[in-house]
Amino acid sequence: MPFLQVNNVVKQYDGHRALDSVSMNVEQGTIYGLLGPNGAGKSSLIRIINMISMPDSGEVLLNGKKMETDDITLIGYLPEERGLYKKMKVCEEIVYLARLKGMNKKDAYEQMDQWLNRFNLTEWRNRKVETLSKGMQQKVQFIATVIHKPQLLIFDEPFSGFDPVNAEQLKQEILRLRDEGATILFSTHNMESVESVCEEITLINHAKVVLQGKVSEIKHQYKKHLYTVTVEGDKSVAANDSLFIIDSSRGNTSQIRLKAGTTVHDTISWLNSNYTLTAFNELLPSMNEIFIETVKKLNS
Amino acid sequence: MNRLWLIIQREYFSIVGKKSFIIMTILMPFVIVLIGAIPAVIAYFNDNAGEAETYSVIDETGMNYASAITDIDGYHFAPLTGDSAAKPREFFDKAGGAIAGVIIIPKDVMTTNQISIYSENTISMGLKSHINSCINDTLTAVKIASYGVPDLDKIIQEAKVDVSVNSIRWDDNGNEEISSSEIASIIGMFLALITYMFVLMYGAMIMNSVIEEKTNRIVEVVVSSCKPFQLMMGKIIGVGLVGLTQFLIWVVLILGIGTIISLVFGSAAATSTLTDPQAMEAIASQANDDSFATIMQSVMSINYAYILLCFVIYFIGGYLLYASLFAGFGSAVDEASDASQFTTPVILLMVVALYAGIACIENPNGQMAVWCSMIPFTSPVVMMVRLPYDVPFWQLALSIFLLFATAALLVWVSARIYRTGILLYGKKTSVKDLIRWIK
Repeated sequence: MPFLQVNNVVKQYDGHRALDSVSMNVEQGTIYGLLGPNGAGKSSLIRIINMISMPDSGEVLLNGKKMETDDITLIGYLPEERGLYKKMKVCEEIVYLARLKGMNKKDAYEQMDQWLNRFNLTEWRNRKVETLSKGMQQKVQFIATVIHKPQLLIFDEPFSGFDPVNAEQLKQEILRLRDEGATILFSTHNMESVESVCEEITLINHAKVVLQGKVSEIKHQYKKHLYTVTVEGDKSVAANDSLFIIDSSRGNTSQIRLKAGTTVHDTISWLNSNYTLTAFNELLPSMNEIFIETVKKLNS
Repeated sequence: MNRLWLIIQREYFSIVGKKSFIIMTILMPFVIVLIGAIPAVIAYFNDNAGEAETYSVIDETGMNYASAITDIDGYHFAPLTGDSAAKPREFFDKAGGAIAGVIIIPKDVMTTNQISIYSENTISMGLKSHINSCINDTLTAVKIASYGVPDLDKIIQEAKVDVSVNSIRWDDNGNEEISSSEIASIIGMFLALITYMFVLMYGAMIMNSVIEEKTNRIVEVVVSSCKPFQLMMGKIIGVGLVGLTQFLIWVVLILGIGTIISLVFGSAAATSTLTDPQAMEAIASQANDDSFATIMQSVMSINYAYILLCFVIYFIGGYLLYASLFAGFGSAVDEASDASQFTTPVILLMVVALYAGIACIENPNGQMAVWCSMIPFTSPVVMMVRLPYDVPFWQLALSIFLLFATAALLVWVSARIYRTGILLYGKKTSVKDLIRWIK
């Protein structure tokens, strides 16, 4: 049974439909990508899962049960627009947000000190939030999101505003949380991060689900029989009208597209008989390409 | 409930911990006391101002009216016999700084009723009225004598009637109490002003707090942990508690400072600290008619516990009503400067309430007073003015009921605006939008 189930959720704002019968299933302990261009309806869906707003119809199930008010303590939410009380001390801020999520004071302080230590923020513990750099504030916000050990973590554009070093640290923390059993919902239009961490995705465009499934399966579904071929010598392969078309060549490497009905096996044996083949790789489309292609196709 | 309590705590301590709040809370009573004490302090120093100023009195009538002007504190009057040819300036210059001014009583004073004071200083109201009354008395006596009717002055004296009205109120046991309308209106006005000031001050504080959370974007994190209604109510209650804290500190400090000042400068200062100049006058006029004991009796006759209880009830109701409006409007805008289209009418309502309150002092049981103390938007202020004048119980009960019913309704309305408004950015909200959110 999926940990999070979204069933036929519809949300109507005055004049336009933000979500049109959106469904998705997120398995426990996986990282799930929620993709879509700006204004597609991602934030509306996230707000509904967070119970900040209610769907007009449809339902959200957590662990197979319809969500209740107290279930929000099971969720940790990092919104895209980060915000903290600037005048509060770091420790007060984190503990306050943790207690709002139902933690008791003692546990909140213990967990906070561990997390501050992990992010090298211990010396900032009693400083006001406004004195921290933006990157440090982001870390404080991340701690406030995960401190109560939520079973479902929702990150909206988690890497925006982080430098590469801190983004990598954050990614490792997210993977660690996943390994500890948390289910993670990732909302983003940063496709690279999707490819490297997400197992499954849902692509929303204009309030509708347009693509859904495992990342690896989607990639195969969208493959265009593209391969890169590298041969010995300083010349690239010549075209072969019956087997493949050459898209581009650079040095001794070419990108080829197999013709319909041609098998990889036939191509390799032909190449082997004419050249000394050093590399032959399938070229899968990147999620970015799939994203752009799908959205373009729908918009045209 | 637990979350609401957390929010209240955070809101409370985030304001109470601010430096500006601490400074304001401690300084304000000193400022109030200082303003109130200035007349008394000035009087204190004037009394000990050393040498009196001398005014030369030139009496051109030759009737020795000049001697009628008697010396008072700080002023000495030296009669000079008339030299009609002399100019006042020459006298002044001849004295070479020994005198502060010259008073001329002209020959035809009996017909023109005018005398003049020449000085390089501005003549104080007190000095003018002293000279006025001295000359008046003398000239009146002269005029009466000039009619040649024997004992006319005595007849006139007897014919003068000056009735003073003693108001005596029966208390619940039928005992007589001396009540004082002046003191009652001072207390009423004071409470009305406090209500007005606090509701506006803390209403604005709530609005800023809402806008701050919105521009900070923290609000989305918070409402993913609690209901927007909890957040709004937490804010309103938290800020309200700040208000009560500040009020209590002020009362304690003002009473403390007042006591100290009254010990140092005498009782005049102490009475003036708690009240405005108008009030001082009222007390002063009472002091002329009645003995100090009578004033004290009328001060004691007011039922403070009852008034304080009503004050707290109306304060809570009025605060809830206005604070929820401010919270709702704050949520609908992105910046404080955008809020004026919504807040201006609210502030105007408060100003109307204050003026109605002031007007009701004249006639605290009149038509306008009764109506304004029923309308929930004005009743928290106006009822304060009426309270010391024994409002009928049914009016009080109805007014409180209306106030709290309206406050509850507005809390509900504001909550609906709030939960939509806080998550909406970058749109200019119109009154139409607000109405749609409420539905």
